[in-house]
Amino acid sequence: MVADGLTGIDGRPIDPAILDRKAVLVVNVASKCGLTPQYEGLERLQARYGAAGFTVLGVPCNQFAGQEPGTPEEIQQFCSTTYGASFPLTEKLDVNGSHRHPLYERLTAVPDTEGRAGEVEWNFEKFLISPAGEVVGRFRPQIEPEDDQVTRAIERVLP
Amino acid sequence: MTVAPATIRATHVRLGDRLRDRSGTELTVTRIDEEFMGQANMLAFVEDSEEQWFKMPALRDGNVELVRRDDEAD
Repeated sequence: MVADGLTGIDGRPIDPAILDRKAVLVVNVASKCGLTPQYEGLERLQARYGAAGFTVLGVPCNQFAGQEPGTPEEIQQFCSTTYGASFPLTEKLDVNGSHRHPLYERLTAVPDTEGRAGEVEWNFEKFLISPAGEVVGRFRPQIEPEDDQVTRAIERVLP
Repeated sequence: MTVAPATIRATHVRLGDRLRDRSGTELTVTRIDEEFMGQANMLAFVEDSEEQWFKMPALRDGNVELVRRDDEAD
């Protein structure tokens, strides 16, 4: 269950119905990164596939050059007003290191297309989870949300 | 000897150095990655400790803020 142990940006547990039996693209996000405009592509993915059983799940993280320094309210405000993001966000989490969230223990065990598993490299790394809960794809930060390899992978696992 | 805050070349950073990044976050370097996101002109300094995990990239020919260096000579 993807939602297990996840708290939303509003401080409440994430409703499992938002994620369960869906294809979920988990992305560690940051508001002050050169890659922050990827929010636009993420939101377009949400619009394109949301009705077909897909969602983006944004995971604010401040472990990369401190580029997500805001409060939950500031992060939420930034996402909705700057990029019109409609997909769910978790609370701020660690994705690397000894305090990383259990979800990222699972995710980082999965290799990318070059066979490299382990640490999240930077902001906006993307992991695709199938509706059955299997991690089926890992895309490094430089790969845009709407890159063919991402959309093909999403379309392969839509319920 | 512990050096006072100073600006040093990124390539002169050593394991154990205490740095401050542009966000104001301090890290004690436990690992130096010799490239960053495939860019050979960049380094990345990482603190991977019980205290925190934090990554700070820097241009190889750029400068970084050194907060503290505990020199083994003392």
